Amino acid sequence: MPRYLGDDFLLPNLTPNNTPFFTSGEITIQFCDDCGHAQHPPDDICYACQGTNLSFRACAGTGTVESCARVHHPLHPVLADRVPYVIAIVSVDGAPGCNVQGNVVNCDAESVAIGQKVRAVYEEIDDPQSGEKLRIPQWEPAGG
Amino acid sequence: MNGKAVVVGVGESAYYKHGGAPDTEFQLACTAIKNAVADAGLELSDVDGLISYMDNRNSPLRLADALGLGDLKWSVTPWAGGGNNSSATMHLADAAVSAGHAEVVVAFRALAQGQFQRLGSGAGLMSGAAPEGLSWGLPYGLMTPAQECALQTNRWMHDHGVSQEALASVSLACYANAQLNPRAVRYGRPLTREDYHDSRWIVEPFHLFDCCMENDGASAVVVTTPERAKDLKAGGVPILATAQGKGPEIGIHSFQQRWFPGMYYEGVADQIWNRSGQKPTDVDVVQMYENFTGPVLMALCEMGYCEPGEVEAFVGDGRLEGPDAAVPFNTSGGNIAEAYIHGLEMVVEAVRQVRGESTCQAKDVELSLAVGGPGYAPGSAVLFGPSL
Repeated sequence: MPRYLGDDFLLPNLTPNNTPFFTSGEITIQFCDDCGHAQHPPDDICYACQGTNLSFRACAGTGTVESCARVHHPLHPVLADRVPYVIAIVSVDGAPGCNVQGNVVNCDAESVAIGQKVRAVYEEIDDPQSGEKLRIPQWEPAGG
Repeated sequence: MNGKAVVVGVGESAYYKHGGAPDTEFQLACTAIKNAVADAGLELSDVDGLISYMDNRNSPLRLADALGLGDLKWSVTPWAGGGNNSSATMHLADAAVSAGHAEVVVAFRALAQGQFQRLGSGAGLMSGAAPEGLSWGLPYGLMTPAQECALQTNRWMHDHGVSQEALASVSLACYANAQLNPRAVRYGRPLTREDYHDSRWIVEPFHLFDCCMENDGASAVVVTTPERAKDLKAGGVPILATAQGKGPEIGIHSFQQRWFPGMYYEGVADQIWNRSGQKPTDVDVVQMYENFTGPVLMALCEMGYCEPGEVEAFVGDGRLEGPDAAVPFNTSGGNIAEAYIHGLEMVVEAVRQVRGESTCQAKDVELSLAVGGPGYAPGSAVLFGPSL
């Protein structure tokens, strides 16, 4: 799908810890192989048991809006004609305690609400910096 | 702690609108330090400690050389770069003086946001060189403190049934109090509830007037021993208790369910009240850092002033406005209406309240609290008084 804030908007700088999230085409969360703890953002150590055997796993791709806010002030020139837009915090099904950031797309900005069920969709765009194909997770109303 | 270190001088430059200062940021820093040291009745050569915020641009060595300060025995900053550092500067000054590492310590903050950029403008992120921590929000247009605090506030308002009127009450109190303060950038510019609601949205639930200003200016506070204070003209305002606390790393960490929603002040509150043996209702006047109004409400609750379900009544009906307020609050106008010097100007005001020198002077002030910037860990707070 085209990007919510436009294909010319900022892209993430890929790092070892964020590449799975932004390229896998799934909601990919870090888990501890020793204690099973899920954590976001990924880090070099497990925050629950301090182990270092960590791996990335794909979750179901559904979640719940924990908070949202409509942004009216454009912080970047390319956003001037894209406000208001909706930013959201989404809890990820299958990753206890983990919330991710995103936008809620494919709906009226006024309709997004705390508690709303959502499912992941992906913005596909080539990253000129890394040469990678980015699949940036976004969320749309799950309906029903 | 417990009065083993006392504030003997406060000072500032003139406060200007963003880009309005005729002086450089370094000149502003020097002016505030000179004024605070003169207020104390000390010489610049007496100063042997300097404290600022972690992202301070004005080197302590350059300042010491330029101002002719004494040998610098204590030159430090707290962790983290923003307003959460404001009361933490008093924590570090107290530590230095009460343990004998230095005798005359100056905490300062200088900002020329017209010459540099607004903290939290997001401007530094536009180059595509954002650090990993910010990458989680950047592609979604989620990159500023206003947005982060809006997400925290919206969830908290939703959970506790808090209305927009409670946010308005914080801003209106700051504006009302600033009308008594000729130093305030918004002096002579009163705000009505209607003006507030008519102002443009920045990010819901924050209107323009829910947000701190952008300013140029500097503030400074001089801390020394009670023995030294006895000989000084201004007397002394004892530091009774100070605290810093735990919280998440900035950004995506702060939205994880173990922290969200929250301002991370429960630990700071425990320390302040346990160390001082006081409680919120004992405090005569409070300065509470407003980055945005919503976090002020959350921090008031976490500091123990009221429960979230009571906050509407706690701040409503003008209960925070003026010297005779039920809870004298942000009496200089704070970051919203006096000047945004990242809260150090509010520490200055907390001291003036104990001295009886505020332009919005609460009655018979013995205990005066200044709480640092909420929502960005580590938080900080300082409790002053009673006067020596």
